[in-house]
Amino acid sequence: MAMMAPLFKYGMFGEETSLVLAFLIGIGFGFFLERAGFGSARKLVSQFYLNDLAVFKVMFTAIVTAMLGVTYLGWIGWLDLSLVYLVPTYLFPQIVGGLILGVGFVVGGYCPGTSVAATATGRVDGLLYVLGIFAGMFAFAEVYPLLKGFYLSGSGEAITLPGAFGLPYGVVVFAVVLMAVGGFYGAGLLEKKFAAPGE
Amino acid sequence: MPGRSSRLTLNQKLALGAVVLGAAALFATPYPGSTVTLDTKELALVVGTEADHVEAPELAAWIIESRADYRLIDLRTEAEFAQYHIPTAVNIPMNVLTDAGLGRQEKLVLYSEGGIHSAQAWMLLRAQGFKSVYMLKGGLDEWKDQVVFPVVADNPTRDERARDERLKSISAFFGGQPRSAAAVAAGAAVMPGMAPAATPARPSVVAPPSPAGGPKPAAKKKEGC
Repeated sequence: MAMMAPLFKYGMFGEETSLVLAFLIGIGFGFFLERAGFGSARKLVSQFYLNDLAVFKVMFTAIVTAMLGVTYLGWIGWLDLSLVYLVPTYLFPQIVGGLILGVGFVVGGYCPGTSVAATATGRVDGLLYVLGIFAGMFAFAEVYPLLKGFYLSGSGEAITLPGAFGLPYGVVVFAVVLMAVGGFYGAGLLEKKFAAPGE
Repeated sequence: MPGRSSRLTLNQKLALGAVVLGAAALFATPYPGSTVTLDTKELALVVGTEADHVEAPELAAWIIESRADYRLIDLRTEAEFAQYHIPTAVNIPMNVLTDAGLGRQEKLVLYSEGGIHSAQAWMLLRAQGFKSVYMLKGGLDEWKDQVVFPVVADNPTRDERARDERLKSISAFFGGQPRSAAAVAAGAAVMPGMAPAATPARPSVVAPPSPAGGPKPAAKKKEGC
């Protein structure tokens, strides 16, 4: 039988190998965050001042690349998309969580992944941010019994855009690509308009 | 700035490439249909090594730990389900199984009264491309025998005593109680408060669907970032 992904679910390798692979992928992720300049809080927060939207552009590029990748891998039969794990949707808890993450991003200058990249390159603010993440996780775990009702409110189903809008998969792919390209163009205009003085 | 202009050109080229690939994706169908190729050798290997089985005590431990990375599916009829089911199970009768909208990415544990229906359902789901489907070994029969009404020794040795204590607490968790080995052997094991025995060896349970203080439907496991 031809090799087919997801490799882990098809039993191509075990738990240990998957951890090693996760480590390597994590290193790669950190490397590209650093290469994009995301090890610097200055670079990251400038997206909120609209004078450097590199974060938006890099993340949306990653989304489009991954989306096209899985679409075509699925099409040619190398990847069984129906076996790919989908994060369950708990709409309101996730909106609240997203807002908290956003506030933390603006205040702290990092998001969880970039703070680790910043720590790896020896930035003290990144290290403090990572410590803050662990403190937050600890506090959350302690009050979890109180929050559990809200935390798990909602259907918990894996909702997809094609499913939610009742559109064919390919139409959604094309729409997301157009949205990204339009977004990149708009981001360029915004960066010109809000360019920091002296740039 | 020549460097800047050439970089923009590359970006524009990449954007164009993405648009072309996106447009071509309009005609792509990345999800496979209902036909899959069954690797019968692989299936036979799975069956032979019993890698597709979950034993009753193992399942009991998962439920007690509130593990949530799997879905427990009761294949019996609604009436049977209403009378008794393993805590945290959802009822998907055999005849609606293939239309139940189960996710192929989910880990499923199937059970029926004995084990024949779950074995048949296992094959159906495997033929539909489900990868992580498991069966409760021995079905509800073994569940009752080994978890809800486990057999404990009458004159336990020291080793047996520790094991029996554990069995007792697990059995109590699921609203049952242990049976004595002698009573089972004598064929007179009708538990107080239980319906008359269908077979001499094991009482037929009408245990509460969800024992007081028992587990609640487990939350889904989180994966990802």
